[in-house]
Amino acid sequence: MDPDDTSYDGYEEDAYYDDDYDDYNNYADVIGTDSNPNHFAGRSQKSCTILKDEDISQRQEADITRISTVLSISRNEASILLRVYGWSFSKVEDEWFGNEEEVRKAVGWLHDEVVTMDHTSEGRITCKICYDSSEEFTSLSCGHPFCNECWSRYFQVSIDDGPGCLMLRCSEPSCRVVVDQDVINLMVCDEYNDKYLRHLFRSYVGVSEAIKWCPAPGCKFAVEFDQYKSESFDVLCDCSYGFCWNCLEESHRPVNCETVRKWSIKNSDEAENVNWILANSKPCPKCRTPIEKNKGCMHMTCRLPCKYEFCWLCLGDWRDHKHYYSCNKYETGKKSGEYDEDEMKKEMAKKLVEKYAHYYERWAANESSRRKAIADLDKLQEKHLEKLSGIHLTPVTQLSFIIDAWLQIIEARRILKWTYAYGYYLPENEGAKKILFEHLQGDAESNLERLHHCVEDELQPFIAVEVTSQEFQDYCAKLKNMTSVTKNYFENLVSAFENDLADVECHGACTNVDAAG
Amino acid sequence: MANSNLPRRIIKETQRLLSEPAPGISASPSEDNMRYFNVMILGPTQSPYEGTFVQLLIGGVFKLELFLPEEYPMAAPKVRFLTKIYHPNIDKLGRICLDILKDKWSPALQIRTVLLSIQALLSAPNPDDPLSENIAKHWKTNEAEAVETAKEWTRLYASGA
Ligand SMILES: [Zn+2]
Ligand SMILES: [Zn+2]
Ligand SMILES: [Zn+2]
Ligand SMILES: [Zn+2]
Ligand SMILES: [Zn+2]
Repeated sequence: MDPDDTSYDGYEEDAYYDDDYDDYNNYADVIGTDSNPNHFAGRSQKSCTILKDEDISQRQEADITRISTVLSISRNEASILLRVYGWSFSKVEDEWFGNEEEVRKAVGWLHDEVVTMDHTSEGRITCKICYDSSEEFTSLSCGHPFCNECWSRYFQVSIDDGPGCLMLRCSEPSCRVVVDQDVINLMVCDEYNDKYLRHLFRSYVGVSEAIKWCPAPGCKFAVEFDQYKSESFDVLCDCSYGFCWNCLEESHRPVNCETVRKWSIKNSDEAENVNWILANSKPCPKCRTPIEKNKGCMHMTCRLPCKYEFCWLCLGDWRDHKHYYSCNKYETGKKSGEYDEDEMKKEMAKKLVEKYAHYYERWAANESSRRKAIADLDKLQEKHLEKLSGIHLTPVTQLSFIIDAWLQIIEARRILKWTYAYGYYLPENEGAKKILFEHLQGDAESNLERLHHCVEDELQPFIAVEVTSQEFQDYCAKLKNMTSVTKNYFENLVSAFENDLADVECHGACTNVDAAG
Repeated sequence: MANSNLPRRIIKETQRLLSEPAPGISASPSEDNMRYFNVMILGPTQSPYEGTFVQLLIGGVFKLELFLPEEYPMAAPKVRFLTKIYHPNIDKLGRICLDILKDKWSPALQIRTVLLSIQALLSAPNPDDPLSENIAKHWKTNEAEAVETAKEWTRLYASGA
């Protein structure tokens, strides 16, 4: 039932050496089955291959073998050349056959003399880094000796510092000999060896346009995507994080990368809040406390202890205003265009902020709801599924439709979330589109709410207490049905959005008879 | 303060810096932090950074600060000019563009070698690898004028006071 574990390894090995990407496509189809959260949105989810450490290492090893055979050099040397030339065969070969001497010089493989160690009078050597004499010294092919402790510290500091550790040279300042992996292996502990390997893997992925690291925090997988030159696409990592190949943001289908970019800038933009303050509050002319306007009238009273009464429009003393609710200064100012523009700008800013707040609130609510759904799904898989299986004498595998329901919810929340970003940018003058948009969105949303309620709340009794099997059977049928109805609604929503709400009339929400009943 | 457990290497380097200073360079650790050095470099002769002789040498004294990070000598010291200087490889904040302070650092290099390299950089500005774009441009388009500015700045700021 879990396709992630089937035929992965053997398949991958065969596929790799084959330049024909069809193999990857088939492979991706294999994983693209039910437990794939984005499965139903799979139409634009193009084939991709997940590369784990072993896979990258395997590829690197294969490249190293190839270069070491072609150039008749050691594997260590081949590895260094590949790193220097960004894991490109053609570059390594061009450079090597173009001017082997130069290449050898660049990586420090040309040295006239091998250094012999200077011994102190007592027959010991002093390390040129720590100035101590120690028992254990190591040198690279050049013969420059440094104590093992210094090598080890040097490697650790460099590994912590970043990918520069892949191109370390002999500690003798004038010496160009590159440190090879074996020496590092010997000198540092497992923890640092692992870190070093991570840098090594990363260096491999950095050079190919078809491979990217999964941007999920803590995820160590790389994703290979053969259609990277096409438009943006959602890809799904084995860690279950779906992201956009193009902009590396979390999957945002059906809205495009540009909308996502604008939206996230908007969200981080404090200017909105500043505008809001501007539109809704003014400092008391006497004590400077910001006073918020929350009523229609212009008569403002500052907080205790100030209690200064002033006019919202002109900030003048309220007592000077002869006619209640009317500001003479404002009226005259309006005539001369003094206050008018200012006030209009503030009103506009306020409206814009209100609009943004409306969409943002819903965007954020769906996101947090999605996160909660992910957590709930985890909980279900961790314990509730077993329990249900025990109570209702049903194999866990036959309860997978509950997982499907949750996955559907998670994906639908994601889509719905992005429709709110879309909605915010939908031009005000596109009235018809807006109506359709809200109609589609509303239908999809209410279906989703029902499904969410059905699996979140209505399932509880079946976990907690014994009920008749008939009741449980009915529930199962209902949930399955609801899942598929919601799926349809969201598929329609997505395709409508992807057509930019053109021709929605023909296949809008109405094509789905509400079969859930 | 942070002076307990000072590695033998730092102690030795410091002793040697004090007992056999390199020509035109002085470096002495601060009293409360042995990893922090007050440095003075004399502008090299024949460079726009040299002082003027009026019976005795006046000016051309550049102050720097040098700090040995915890990782030293596995990581390079941090060095910065405190005296304003007009030089294509040194920026407004006194930061220095020098390969051995970055990717070409090797743990067998020393404070002494670093300071000698900085002194050499004053003799041979490298506008092709600039840190201050404007100064580098000036240097490339009108070297004579740029050198004049550098001399002017040396007079104005590098008095050693
Ligand atoms: Zn040592
Ligand atoms: Zn060496
Ligand atoms: Zn991942
Ligand atoms: Zn994108
Ligand atoms: Zn008024």
